[in-house]
This record gives sequence, structure tokens and C-alpha cells, in this order.
Amino acid sequence: MKRCHDCSVEIAGDWQHCPLCQEPTRGHASPSPFPAVALSFSRRRIFRLLFFGSLAIILGSFAVQLFLGRGPAEFGAVRSVWLGVVTMWLVAVMAVRKRRNVAKSIVYLVLIVGLVCLYWDYLNGWQGWSLNYAIPIVCGSSILALLITVRSMRIEVGNYIVYSGITILLGLLPIVFLVFSWVTTTLPSAICVAVSVIALVVIQVYRGAEVRHELAKRLHV
Amino acid sequence: MTRRKWVRLDNASNIFLAARSETDTKVFRLSAELDHHVDPQLLQVALDITYDRFTLYHAVLRRAIFWYYLQDSDLRPTVTPDNQPTCAPIYDADRTGLLFRVMYHQNRIILEIFHALSDGTGALWFLTDLVTEYIRSRYPQQPDIEDTSTAQLIAQPGAADENIAARDLAVDSFAQYFRRPSTTDERAAEVEVESSLTTTTKVFQVTGTRTPDYRTRAVELTASANDVLTLAKAEGVSMTMYLTALFFEAIRRSSDGFGRSRTLAATIPVNLRQFFPSVSPRNFFATVRVEHTYGEGPDDIASVGRQLEQQFRPKASPEALGKKLRRLTRVERSPLLRVVPRPLKDVILRGLNWANNRGLTVSVSNLGRVTLPEAIESHVGAMAFHVSAVRPQMCVMSHAGLLTISFTSPFIETDHIKEFARYLTDQGIAVTVAAARVTEFELAEELES
Repeated sequence: MKRCHDCSVEIAGDWQHCPLCQEPTRGHASPSPFPAVALSFSRRRIFRLLFFGSLAIILGSFAVQLFLGRGPAEFGAVRSVWLGVVTMWLVAVMAVRKRRNVAKSIVYLVLIVGLVCLYWDYLNGWQGWSLNYAIPIVCGSSILALLITVRSMRIEVGNYIVYSGITILLGLLPIVFLVFSWVTTTLPSAICVAVSVIALVVIQVYRGAEVRHELAKRLHV
Repeated sequence: MTRRKWVRLDNASNIFLAARSETDTKVFRLSAELDHHVDPQLLQVALDITYDRFTLYHAVLRRAIFWYYLQDSDLRPTVTPDNQPTCAPIYDADRTGLLFRVMYHQNRIILEIFHALSDGTGALWFLTDLVTEYIRSRYPQQPDIEDTSTAQLIAQPGAADENIAARDLAVDSFAQYFRRPSTTDERAAEVEVESSLTTTTKVFQVTGTRTPDYRTRAVELTASANDVLTLAKAEGVSMTMYLTALFFEAIRRSSDGFGRSRTLAATIPVNLRQFFPSVSPRNFFATVRVEHTYGEGPDDIASVGRQLEQQFRPKASPEALGKKLRRLTRVERSPLLRVVPRPLKDVILRGLNWANNRGLTVSVSNLGRVTLPEAIESHVGAMAFHVSAVRPQMCVMSHAGLLTISFTSPFIETDHIKEFARYLTDQGIAVTVAAARVTEFELAEELES
């Protein structure tokens, strides 16, 4: 019989690794009372197929828009609904995939929604609503969402600090919009920047030491 | 033309239909190891004989508007090689079929049963008869095999004068014993009726990664029954409670701290036939819940075992069980509930089952030491059983001096089993592990070799 030295047990069947502790086994194999039955399906494979299948359809949908022409005249209700559906789909796929790390999933969400809005605005003949409203509002709200989540879920600092930092930096991005006068309506951008600055201050005051510790650890050369 | 016999599904069995899921098929497996490779042809002959004897096993499950019912059928069972994952689903509402299967693998005879049909004790009677018939045809020269068809039944108290036909579809022991209020009720009045639904403390629950195709993770540990019994006796605890305490300890060691829920709870089925004589192979058991909260006193295995024993004894007394079951039967028989359509009953039961599960960490089941008819005893080695599981489960059974502790779980993780096995080996007990391959990695390893 095979033998696991860590567990000091004999193992029936041809196990290269101990079924209990996964350490390599020694000795000769004996017949197993359980036959090896092939998987009827694998959840992991199904999820991977769904993920990459979804991603292909979503990216394909976005790419094909370029060939359909741009401008408000070209942009019918069908395209609006189509883009709406694939964006929803993309957000749902990312939310499921990154569900184990809330801070990370917020960064993904901000990036996805921001980029899709830019692209949509571009397809629609560039009316500027993405920079004026969509991006600053999404960035600002995500920072608030992050502060609330971190507070209510008691996540460890190390697990959210990097992605929180990225979210806040994204929130500072509308400064560029203001400086280069890319926006006609300045209020949303201004509020977003203000929220980001306040969040930065709050984190520095309450979590400053931990933040510096984390940064030192992550930037260690 | 004779009409087909039918009977409404009994009290305990309904819950198995409602609580059945993709991961927890509510199928259990009993197996007996012989001293040679099983001959499928002879096993089929033995199955045919045994099947004719157990009319209950002819039953198929049908759905009516208000209840499920068992109905007699003309189907015949066929033995098959063990080529499905353990405890694979048996009952399929869209395809009427028998509620059990008989399989073989190397030197094992395997019986799998949908729990709505029978319980462990009932299944053990069937397996005993099956193995006896098999050995009889395998060793025809051996003269002294008496008619053992009643061997297990007679072993039950008060069963000797019952007719064998009692293994019939119609006997619902729950109805027989608990439908009418008992005269002993006054005596039992002070016995506290337990209900895990009323639990106030938050109970620790094991989480993990589900198996790739929802099959049951099953691992068997085999050790000398005497060695483990000595260990339990040295602590002054019964075997079941000692193993339960050890199971708790293994869960504690394999978890990364309990967090806020430091209470572990186990549900343990009690065979009612020992108190309320019955030869019905249908479900006839009740469950008892015991718990232990860590960090509030001595937490060593012996102390936990003794404490569990103190909780278990009064709850598993005939008075307490009778009271609990009379109450359950009364609820089940209440006119209001009887007119609720079956799909709605399923929803209600599923809800109750979900609430009940939240108050439980593990399940423990012990079929005890099995005695087989003398003539076949020498041909049969270890016997084992396990159940599909919604939470980590431990099933214990002993035969031929070998104690088989089977662990099942819906998760791939085996850490608690590792801790359990290591504890036993640390005490100097030799342990053999047998496991069914579950993950892609484990199956790939098998292909390589």
C-alpha cells in the first residue's frame, strides 16, 4: 500500500499525493475500493467558457460599432439598446469575476463604465456628456461607495489600500478636464475632485501609518 | 386485473424529497467487502432472490396533488459495475425507476438507496440478505447456511413473532406508534423537547470549494474497532460521542479560527426500532442535536465527549423521542397542512430544512457493530456506509473487528479528515485511508499512473 509519512496513514489506491494532505506518497500502489470516475462536467471549465465567450461577444459588439458609422444621425434606438445590453453584461461579468475583492471590483467598474461612456459619446458624434457628467459622477460615487464598503465590511487595510488609492487617483483625473477646459459644465468635475481630496485626507489621517507601511512593502526594491 | 398497491410516503421521508439538491442527492451507500472479487452473475442471482423477498424495494415514487406516494412496480433491478460517482442521484421525477441500485467493485458489494425509501437499518437488512444469498451460491458446498432471510429481523427486539410479510410497503411505523397520544405522555411531560430551530447562539459552519461536478467527496478511514473503543472507554465516553468530540476537534483544528461563532453542533440519527419494535424497513428514525461551545470551559476531547453524552442521553430516551414524534405526527396530520398542495409543502419543508441546517455544523451517524449470520461471517470483511452530504458528515460502522469511519462533504477540502486521521495515528492507531477521486487534479493523477 502507499503510505503518507506526514499523516502516518496507509493509502488504498494509486495515489501519488496523499488525499488528506497532498504531500507525495511512498510505497507500492494497491487497488482502490473506489473507481476513478471521470467528471461529468467541470464547473471551472463552464465558468471559463462563459467568461471568454461573453468577453468575445462584448468586445465584438463594441468593435462592430466603428463600422456602422458615427454621429447622432447614425445612432438609432437599436444601437443604444445593443450597447446598453453589452455594457450591462460586461459589468455583470466583471462583478462576478472580481466578487472576492470589493475594492478591486470598484476599480474595474470605474474603468469599464468610464471607457464605455467615452466610446459611446465618441460614436454618438462627441457631444461631451461623458466628460461633463458621466465620468466625474461615476468616479465621485465610487469613492463614496469605497469609503462606505471599507467601513461596513471591516476589510483589512492591506487588502484594499492599493485599489482604493487607484480609485482616488482616478477621482483626481477630472482636474485635467478642468485645466484644459475640456468640459463645459464644470460642477460635476469640481465635486468629484473635492470628494477625492477629502477621501485622501481622511485616509491619511485615519490610516496614514498603515498606508505608508503597505506602500513601503509593495514598493520595496 | 389486480390494482397496484400504494402507500403515502411516511413522516420522515418527505423531508428527503424537499431537501434533495444537486450536491446533496439524499442517497446513501452501504458496502460489504468480501474475501474475493465479486462475481456479477452470482450477485444478480442473489439480487433476484432478495428482491422478491423485500416488496418495499419494488416501489417507485410517484407524485400526487397533496403527497408523494410509493407504488408497487414490475421493474427488475440489474447489478452494475460501480461506474458513477458515489451517491449519484437515484430519484428523477421525470423518469420512474427503482429507488435503489446494487453495484460491485473488486471485492465490494455496494447498495445505494434513495433515503426516502429506507434508512440505514432497513438497508442493512437488505444488504445482509443479499450478501447471504450471494455467499450461498458462491460456496454451494458449504452445507450449514440456514434460511437467513430473517436473520437481521429477528435480531430486533420483539420481532420474532412478526410475520415476514411485514417487510411490506404498507407498514408506516411512525403512524403505528405516534398517531395516538400515549399514556406515557404525562411521564414525559417534563422532558424538554429539543428543537434546533430555536437555537439562539450562532453555530459555526464549514465552508469550502464545491466539487467540480457536485459529486460527493468521500473518504474512508479504517482502523481496528478495538483500538478505538479502548480509546473511548479510557475516557469513559461512548464510541459515538467520543468520535463526535474528535470530529469537533478536527473541525476546530482545520478552521482558521471560529470568529464569532464558537459553537459546533451535530445532528445524530437515532434508530427508533430499538425502543419501538418494528420490522418495517421503511424510514424509522429521529434525530437528536448536540452542541458544544468552545472557550467556555474544558475543550479537550474527553470533556467535550462527556458533555455531549450528557446532552444526548435524555434526548435519545424513548420518552423524549416519543413526545417529539407524536408532536411532529400531529402537525403532519393536522387538517390544515393536509390540504396544502405538495409543491407548496415542498417549499415549506425546504424552508424548514434550510433553517434547521443553519443550526448545524456536522452530521454524525453510527450504525454500530454489525452481526452477520454465522455462516457468512468469515467471508465478509470491513463494512462501510456513507451519505451524500450538505455539510461535513461522518458515518461509522464496524464489522470483523474493523471500524470504518466514512467522511462525506460537498466540498473538496479534506483538512478536517486529515486532522482526524492524524489524531488517531498520534495515539498509535493504524489507519488506512481510501478516497474517491473528486478534483480534476486527482483524476488526472489517476490517468498518468
